[in-house]
Amino acid sequence: MIEFKNVSKIYSTGTEAVHGATFVIEKGDFAFLVGQSGSGKSTLIKLILKEEEPTEGTIIINGKDTTFLKPSRVPYLRRSMGVVFQDFRLLPDKTVYDNVAFAMNIVKAAPRHIRRQVPMVLSLVGLSSKAKAYPEELSGGEQQRVALARALVNNPSMIIADEPTGNLDPETAWEIMTLLNEINLRGTTVVIATHAKDIVDAMKKRVIEIEKGIIIRDDRKGGYSK
Amino acid sequence: MKYNVVGYFLSEGFRNVFKNKKSTFSCLGVMCATMLMFGLFFAIGQNITHMVENIEDSQAIRVFANIDTSEEDLERMKAEIESIEGVEPGIKLVTPEEAYNEMKERLGDKQDAMDILEPSIFSYSYVITLSDLDLNDSIQEQIMKLDNIKRITSSNQTIRALSVIGKWVRIVTGVLLAILIVISIFIISNTIKLTVHARRKEISIMKYVGATNSFVRTPFVIEGVIIGIMSSVISLLFVGGAYNWCANRMRLSETIQTIGVNILSFNELFAQIIMVYVILGVGIGIIGSAISMRKYLDV
Ligand SMILES: Nc1ncnc2c1ncn2[C@@H]1O[C@H](COP(=O)(O)OP(=O)(O)OP(=O)(O)O)[C@@H](O)[C@H]1O
Ligand SMILES: [Mg+2]
Repeated sequence: MIEFKNVSKIYSTGTEAVHGATFVIEKGDFAFLVGQSGSGKSTLIKLILKEEEPTEGTIIINGKDTTFLKPSRVPYLRRSMGVVFQDFRLLPDKTVYDNVAFAMNIVKAAPRHIRRQVPMVLSLVGLSSKAKAYPEELSGGEQQRVALARALVNNPSMIIADEPTGNLDPETAWEIMTLLNEINLRGTTVVIATHAKDIVDAMKKRVIEIEKGIIIRDDRKGGYSK
Repeated sequence: MKYNVVGYFLSEGFRNVFKNKKSTFSCLGVMCATMLMFGLFFAIGQNITHMVENIEDSQAIRVFANIDTSEEDLERMKAEIESIEGVEPGIKLVTPEEAYNEMKERLGDKQDAMDILEPSIFSYSYVITLSDLDLNDSIQEQIMKLDNIKRITSSNQTIRALSVIGKWVRIVTGVLLAILIVISIFIISNTIKLTVHARRKEISIMKYVGATNSFVRTPFVIEGVIIGIMSSVISLLFVGGAYNWCANRMRLSETIQTIGVNILSFNELFAQIIMVYVILGVGIGIIGSAISMRKYLDV
């Protein structure tokens, strides 16, 4: 569960990227964050990830107020979220398998657990046959699926994605969104910042629209624009 | 499971060390310079301290006669010295053979080095005990006026001089060490910064997936520690070799022998030097890597 209470973010440059944002994303929700370029979508995502601190307001994640969370506790907060970015962010010198296993290594998972879990998520995203390939040998859609597998492998309660289909052609974008929907149907909360108008319109999910840092619309089963 | 994490840290640490060979190399250079400098001054300082302790045992003046002084002249010298006020009568003559054997004893297990020397290169000398130490200077002056006197050594003077030198050596060692430590930390933190920079993408992914700072930092700390330990080992070999070489040469020098200095063997310095090296190596490695990581952990 993600709850924003009157959250504002002013960057050190003076830009107010988010102003008075208040919303609740319940466990198991699927929500799109839409808005023009520069409207503050990525800033909202960074606030959820606690990559940025809110200037004002309160952010509650999974029932816990993160406003005064000690920096040393942030890694544990992040383990409850899987993150996906537009540019995939895979490690080029590691195989698909190792890119995913890496996420388990760094949370000190047991090797036995890693050997069981990695093939499972790879099959979930449909990449079992590419386990030994390197990222550069994969298409953009496949790379994003590896990133998705990595985000899922530690069983997070939510997936946070910032323009996950931004670098993909429309067809591949659909594949990824469909996959995210499947993941959501298994109980994982999904929040996606996106510009993919057609997909948002077709999927009829919750849409939160932000304009110049202010949330101007929050529709259940909404479209990309009013 | 524990083993798996430790293995990961070590393999990542070693990978970092060899990733930036050039900067690792320059880092080794600076750290070795620091350690060698320390080793050098420490060895000198310890020897001086040792000398001072040695000489303090005997509060005596020693008068050396010229090499070719005849027995008659030696007898006359003895009478003349004993007639000086403040000198205890019955001063003791040390023959060249005795001086030679004395020297040999002091060398301990390095006695073989004496084989190439003849006792005849040592001179006769008298060991004088003073009834009044305050007269030391004036007695020496009077002895110097006598014939056939080559040199006088006085513990008091030597001790004073050595204590002063010893003190300065310690001060210089301290200051140099402090400066070199700062430079080493700077260089090592720059070296690690390069590997951190090269792997910043990996670090940011680690942070997003929920790696703790200490988990991210550990391989880089290990990188620093590995460089530190490598420097310690290299420096120890160099200092040990150079020290033994110099010490052997000095034990054979006449000046050193006549002053009666006993040079320490490297084994006697080894424990302290290795301890300081390990502390320096590990400490500089840890501090240097901690400094270089600060910026990148901020995701
Ligand atoms: N680190 C930063 N420092 C200062 N200003 C920033 C920073 N990040 C973003 N901004 C500013 O905050 C505003 C919102 O940016 P943000 O990245 O949240 O927009 P966005 O909705 O994600 O845009 P896009 O669709 O292009 O990704 C912009 O005006 C941007 O210039
Ligand atoms: Mg953005």
